[in-house]
Amino acid sequence: MLQRTISVLLLAALVAAGVYWWLSAPVVAAVGAAPAHTPDLANGEVMFNAGGCASCHAVPGQPDRLRLGGGVAIKSPFGTFYAPNISPDPNDGIGKWKDTDFVNAVMHGVSPDGQHYFPAFPYTSYQHARREDVLDLFAYLKTLPPVAGKARDHDVPFPFDIRRNIGIWKFLFLDGKPFVADAAKPSQWNRGAYLVNSFGHCAECHSPRNALGGIVSGQRFAGGPNPEGEGWVPNITQKKLGEWSAKDLAYFLKTGELPDGDSVGGAMTRVIKNISQLPEADLAAMADYIKSLPPVDGPTPPKRKPAS
Amino acid sequence: MKRTLIVGATLLLGVSAVWAQQDAAKETQTYMKGNGRNAGAISAMVKGEKPYDQATVDAALAQFEETAKKLPTLFPASMKGIKLEGDYSASPKIWEDKAGFDAKIASFAKVVGEAKGKIKDLDTLKATLPVIGKECGGCHETFRVKNS
Repeated sequence: MLQRTISVLLLAALVAAGVYWWLSAPVVAAVGAAPAHTPDLANGEVMFNAGGCASCHAVPGQPDRLRLGGGVAIKSPFGTFYAPNISPDPNDGIGKWKDTDFVNAVMHGVSPDGQHYFPAFPYTSYQHARREDVLDLFAYLKTLPPVAGKARDHDVPFPFDIRRNIGIWKFLFLDGKPFVADAAKPSQWNRGAYLVNSFGHCAECHSPRNALGGIVSGQRFAGGPNPEGEGWVPNITQKKLGEWSAKDLAYFLKTGELPDGDSVGGAMTRVIKNISQLPEADLAAMADYIKSLPPVDGPTPPKRKPAS
Repeated sequence: MKRTLIVGATLLLGVSAVWAQQDAAKETQTYMKGNGRNAGAISAMVKGEKPYDQATVDAALAQFEETAKKLPTLFPASMKGIKLEGDYSASPKIWEDKAGFDAKIASFAKVVGEAKGKIKDLDTLKATLPVIGKECGGCHETFRVKNS
């Protein structure tokens, strides 16, 4: 009887291990299936600015946001991540990468040597980008100056440092659905929806997350605690921004100026540096889409500590 | 008795010092809120929500200019490390990087001074307002911290 129990348990463990191995495996796009693409550098630059790549990948402590040597520390409840070098340096950056490597990294969160990237890299949003836009971005990145030197390793404690576990995380939180335009909506709205939900990755900070670090889907865009630590990221649904016109939103994205005339603070300052470079039509499109977000209650911000 | 008096006096001194700092802070906040209102009023024209109005522009620029003049006195060393009521406080960097802070004020004053003769219609406003806005945001980014 005991023997039988042991063999059943062993079998169950084996099956569990098999399922874990299967679910946690890095999934990438099939090689060779994709059509050839002639890159459009100007579009690549738009995607670069929409994606806010420079916020994390530009070398900190120097003014040039096109020097993408990495090194910015990204704090999270799971440890501190250090953004890698994505300059075209052949040894320390992505100079030797092929198109497929880049697409797999950005859209599937898998490195050229087949490892999962930590979702601090917002491929959960970038997966909704169009492959052509990703390739244009890659071509644009290759025109930027190469920066030598690797960023330091992530400082992530056990068990979060087991990359294979990210495969399970992806199974839970990566929907794998490409962006589909809503035919009932005008093209400007669809352009905005695309930019906000793919490259713009607005929901990554403007949504609450669960204990495993996945976005609470029912409260997407409804704000929450700042994933990088201090403070609160505001609700950007109409619950909070009902008084903002679409023009206010577009003007804010362009200038960082709030409707009350104040300039924005916190992490959004860095976001505006990139977003403000987008063509006015794209800003208007994003504003249009954000203005259309139905009001959703987010988590309640903690009471502010009294002033000392 | 003497002891009570001394303790009482010290406490009073302490309290009034805190009051003085809150006063300085209130003054700063009043200026900044005024700037915000003015900036908001002229951005409404850029956004196309209000028609262009020279008087509003002139009033805003006058307020900005006064702020620029006043700014060097609004952050006494005693204010360092004090958390204010409201959304934001002054960053300790104001005193740690005094030269950098003063340079920002000088640059704001210069930009406002130049804008005064320049803004005559909607087009010149559209061209100049972002330059001023950058000064506001640029200084806030480094020298202002959000209260958590």
